[in-house]
Amino acid sequence: MSSILIIVFLPLLASAIAGLGNRALGNTVAKSVTTAGLFISCGLSWPIFISFLTGAAEPTVVPVLQWVHSGNMTFDWALRVDTLTAIMLVVITSVSALVHLYSWGYMSDDPDQPRFFSYLSLFTFAMLMLVTADNLVQMFFGWEGVGLASYLLIGFWFKKPSAGAAAIKAFVVNRVGDLGFMLGIFGTFLVFQTTSIPEILAAAPALKGASTIGFLGMRFDTLTILCLLLFIGAMGKSAQLGLHTWLPDAMEGPTPVSALIHAATMVTAGVFMVCRLSPMFQAAPDALTVVTFIGAATCFFAATVGTTQWDIKRVIAYSTCSQLGYMFFAAGVGAYGAAMFHLFTHAFFKALLFLGAGSVIHAMHHEQDMRYYGNLRKHIPITFWAMMAGTLAITGVGILGVFGFAGFYSKDSILEAAFASGTEMGRTAFWLGAFAALLTSFYSWRLMFLTFWGKPRWSQSEHIQHAVHDEHGHADHGHDHAHDDHHSHGEHDDGTAGYHPHESPWVMLTPLIILSVGAVFAGFVFSPYFIDSEHFWQGAIYYNEHLIHSMHGVPLWVKLTATAVMLIGFVVAWFAYIKDTSIPRKFVDQFRNLHAFLYNKWYFDELYNLIFVKPAFWLGRQLWLKGDVGLIDRFGPNGAAWVVEKGAVVARKVQSGYLYSYALVMLLGLVAAISWMMVQ
Amino acid sequence: MDFAASLKLIAPELLMSVSGLVLLLVSAWVGDKASRAISVAAAVVLGACFFLVAPAVCSGASGPDTLAFGGQFSADAFAGLAKLMIFAAGGAALVIAPAFFERFNAMRAEYPVLILFAVLGMSIMVSARDLITLYIGLELNSLAAYVLAAFLRTDDRSAEAGLKYFVLGALASGILLFGMSLTYGFTGTTSFEGIRVALNGEMAMGALFGLIFMLAGLAFKISAVPFHMWTPDVYEGAPTPVTAFFASAPKVAALALTMRVTLEAFGAQDDAWRQIVIFAAIASIVIGALGAIGQSNLKRLLAYSSINNVGFILIGLAAGTPAGASAMLVYLAIYVAMTVGGFVAVLMLKDENGNSVEAIADIAGLSRTRPALAFCLMLVMFSLAGIPPLFGFWGKFVVFQAAVNAGFVALAAIGIAASVIGAFYYIKVVKVMYFDEPADVVKGESDWAHWALLAISALAISPLGYLLTPWLGNLADKAAAVLFLGV
Amino acid sequence: MVDLSQYLPILIFLAIALGLSAAFVFLPMGVARLTGAHNPDAEKLSEYECGFPAFEDPRSQFDVRFYLVAILFIIFDLEAAFLFPWAVSLDVTGWPGWITMMVFLGELVIGFAYAWKKGALEWE
Repeated sequence: MSSILIIVFLPLLASAIAGLGNRALGNTVAKSVTTAGLFISCGLSWPIFISFLTGAAEPTVVPVLQWVHSGNMTFDWALRVDTLTAIMLVVITSVSALVHLYSWGYMSDDPDQPRFFSYLSLFTFAMLMLVTADNLVQMFFGWEGVGLASYLLIGFWFKKPSAGAAAIKAFVVNRVGDLGFMLGIFGTFLVFQTTSIPEILAAAPALKGASTIGFLGMRFDTLTILCLLLFIGAMGKSAQLGLHTWLPDAMEGPTPVSALIHAATMVTAGVFMVCRLSPMFQAAPDALTVVTFIGAATCFFAATVGTTQWDIKRVIAYSTCSQLGYMFFAAGVGAYGAAMFHLFTHAFFKALLFLGAGSVIHAMHHEQDMRYYGNLRKHIPITFWAMMAGTLAITGVGILGVFGFAGFYSKDSILEAAFASGTEMGRTAFWLGAFAALLTSFYSWRLMFLTFWGKPRWSQSEHIQHAVHDEHGHADHGHDHAHDDHHSHGEHDDGTAGYHPHESPWVMLTPLIILSVGAVFAGFVFSPYFIDSEHFWQGAIYYNEHLIHSMHGVPLWVKLTATAVMLIGFVVAWFAYIKDTSIPRKFVDQFRNLHAFLYNKWYFDELYNLIFVKPAFWLGRQLWLKGDVGLIDRFGPNGAAWVVEKGAVVARKVQSGYLYSYALVMLLGLVAAISWMMVQ
Repeated sequence: MDFAASLKLIAPELLMSVSGLVLLLVSAWVGDKASRAISVAAAVVLGACFFLVAPAVCSGASGPDTLAFGGQFSADAFAGLAKLMIFAAGGAALVIAPAFFERFNAMRAEYPVLILFAVLGMSIMVSARDLITLYIGLELNSLAAYVLAAFLRTDDRSAEAGLKYFVLGALASGILLFGMSLTYGFTGTTSFEGIRVALNGEMAMGALFGLIFMLAGLAFKISAVPFHMWTPDVYEGAPTPVTAFFASAPKVAALALTMRVTLEAFGAQDDAWRQIVIFAAIASIVIGALGAIGQSNLKRLLAYSSINNVGFILIGLAAGTPAGASAMLVYLAIYVAMTVGGFVAVLMLKDENGNSVEAIADIAGLSRTRPALAFCLMLVMFSLAGIPPLFGFWGKFVVFQAAVNAGFVALAAIGIAASVIGAFYYIKVVKVMYFDEPADVVKGESDWAHWALLAISALAISPLGYLLTPWLGNLADKAAAVLFLGV
Repeated sequence: MVDLSQYLPILIFLAIALGLSAAFVFLPMGVARLTGAHNPDAEKLSEYECGFPAFEDPRSQFDVRFYLVAILFIIFDLEAAFLFPWAVSLDVTGWPGWITMMVFLGELVIGFAYAWKKGALEWE
């Protein structure tokens, strides 16, 4: 199966060509090379996936290069291909290829396109390295590689201070998680004496509850500690509660980046890692409880915040955060198949939503605030229908036993698994998840209604005013000013300010249509494989037969819960944003504190600022002024320079020019030498 | 005693003394008109001596066949290699002098004769295998040097330099002589071979005193700290060609002599002298570097630089191994090239009236007015600082390598650290030449002989010099091996 | 403990020397004071040493010719000092010894000739 080599390394090659060639090659070459590379990778990935679906393929490992052989620490570059990898391969390459294509249109005005496409391909390569990793070190390589690419892409518009700050925030917050991940890897190596994932997974069950680690005078279960450390890494990368603060800010990056990295692929790396190491996590029940709790809490928290945001991308970002929470608590209750299934479907509908949002933003001249949208469904119908498909998928519309959109199958199975797990934490997760599903439905429809229904509210947008002004400035060149002013101050009664949104070009719409197909049918087609087929997984994840069995045996009301809350959310949204648009204002006035709490994201940023950022700055300032300037510089370079300077003055003073002092120094030297030798 | 064989071994010295005496008479009878002719004759003599010595160096001559006059004089490869450097430096001093002195109307016929006698003295020094030979060579060199320092009789600074050099030199000679008498008294012999045999085993306190006094006397000659005080004043005051000579040839001779005394005569007592050498090395490096900072005169700066370099060379001596001795010789060869190049460049700095320009401030912006000269001076400065692509680095490298291999890691580390201080003022000169506004002082032209000398030295210290390393290293290894035959 | 008794004669000698010298110094002074007229003036009170004033500026200028003569004297003085042991041991050193000394003398002659030619011996 050497096609995997092409799949993984072609994006790297394309990235290098585009990045190094940069302006010398020009935009078109850079875009063509990277996009073509990704479509080839994608075309090679689907057959692998299908062969796993049909059961024709066996898990394989393709060695690439020797890496480190030092003592008993041995690990090589190798590409592992099994069911789990195959799923990720199609997700990554498909979304990445479509995002590359979409970016032709979205980034067409950008002066720095080769760099953008090079970064995108580099990200894809790193992500592929992550998912094909056969050992923890290679996984860490990919892990850091995607972190780097994410940093570069969030800060792609580095002239914008907020983009730079967001990039740094993403990087720093991920460092916290990565520290945990690294400690986890070190600890794993310490315990298992290997970094090879299959060997670790084979050895892990025997260690269940059999070993403890002493820390701060207390004994902890070894596997629990290791799994929690690794999970901290996953929390950072997948923006789980506590380490989630970077994800909304990461929306500063270009929208295709948000679709690829911060929705479909990179943020799911944590879920992938937990699933990849599922036998190990399964041997640490306490760790799984924590995973379930964090996942459920994130799911709930992000959904609540999502209901109050105005920025279209931020709503989707919190939605992503929330959906990742679903995946984690699915993994936490042992339903790794359901977690991966939700990851799979979510990649399609969330990429679709992001790209659709990008199309809307494109149409609305970079206005991202939904308060200034409205009534767009008639102006950009294809985008509207694509977004509609995505919304139907994420809210989980479907009729039990007949047909459902993608999210219907994956989300429902997660809720069922949580209920069926039978544990206290599982039940908690079920209720939190169900409530979050209600909120999901609410904020998704809120987004749709605000954007596509109602009256146009564009005239208040500075971006639109700007655009209109420019347009008329060009069009009315030579006309008198009075006429010009009449238009630019937006005295149209319909709230459009005379602006006409245009549907995006076909390079942007094509990916939307393809992803819409995925959003509509992915759940229906693949549900039997991901959830019910142990054969499909071929041991790539821990397959809990008992749980699957009890999942199917849950009461009917449980199965209907998701559909019910979805409908409630839809109705509430309809009342608030279509029927009587004064309801939200009244609600906010009534529950001012609650709204402020949600709108300000539970004050996490403010809290972190107070607890970590300010003290860190203070500490940094102290270290700089007292430590560096006051201590190291003073006694180091500056001190040495001072000593040399003074020494030079003394040396010049001694050189008096008087013969007798010269003779005296000579004799003193002689006497000193003799005295020294005498006392020896 | 085979008198004829002995005479054959001292052929270069014989040639120099006879021609020196003849030229002295010529200078007396013909007068200063003959000074150019005598210079040429002296240079020819030195050239002839160069080729007389060369075979012994190439063949790595050693052993009884090289000993003349009952072992008092040795014409071995070690002495030969040192002599080659001395002759070359002496020749350079002859070439650069006339143009300088003629400006003061002070070119006298005695100058080449004195150079010749000084070289003869040094030649005897490096061949000495007996305290008496050592002293005769040393004094012959010193007496000529005192006169040379004061050669510009009417110039106050030159006279002051001569007087200071003489008084302190006499003091150092006295110290050396006292050390020699103590050594003789406690070993009963003046021959290096005999001293080595007599001192095998426990060392008497008197002999130790003798050793220290002798080292002190020699340290004066190589201007190692704390016997360096005369150096800046004399280098600054003496006429520049003389300074160039002082900074090159006598350094080689005195260091070679020091090596002979320590490694041959006191080779069995290396523990006794090593500590002193280590101290002198570190102190020379540090004081040389510190003193140079803040100097405004190029010659004074180069004087401190020579103190600094001697410190580095002494690190090789502290190692006390054949590799260390070989490294010293390599360093010395490179040092001679750098010094000659540096002083020739300084000599070529002249204002519109042909007067010497010695202030560092006056060469500001030289790169724009005299790019070639500035480039050569930059090469010299970077090489002296030991910055890698240049040959000066190699000298430091071999010395440090020898020290490390001999187990003196700390010494090498201190040396390397201290060389950073030195780099400051070398680079400062380059900075002044290349980045400051032109002072527009340097206007005078120089003749082809100066350019040729400068070109040769610049080429030698340029990265091309590394092509010489196998050859130079081989010669130095063979020469250094001579000193360790008795071990 | 060092036996100091051996040093007794030296001590006695020292005492006698001190006594005698004191006597030589103070006896004439006492006798003169008692017998002669006491009539001091500046010249009488000033010290007498070798015809030079006892205290004066050491940097007063000498004619350089004094030094030249002195140096030439030293050279030939030392030559004479060399010649005595050489002459005594000539039967041992033989012809090489004789030749060496002749060379030495020849060198001195050349130096002397140079000095002479340069006018070092002319006083005026």
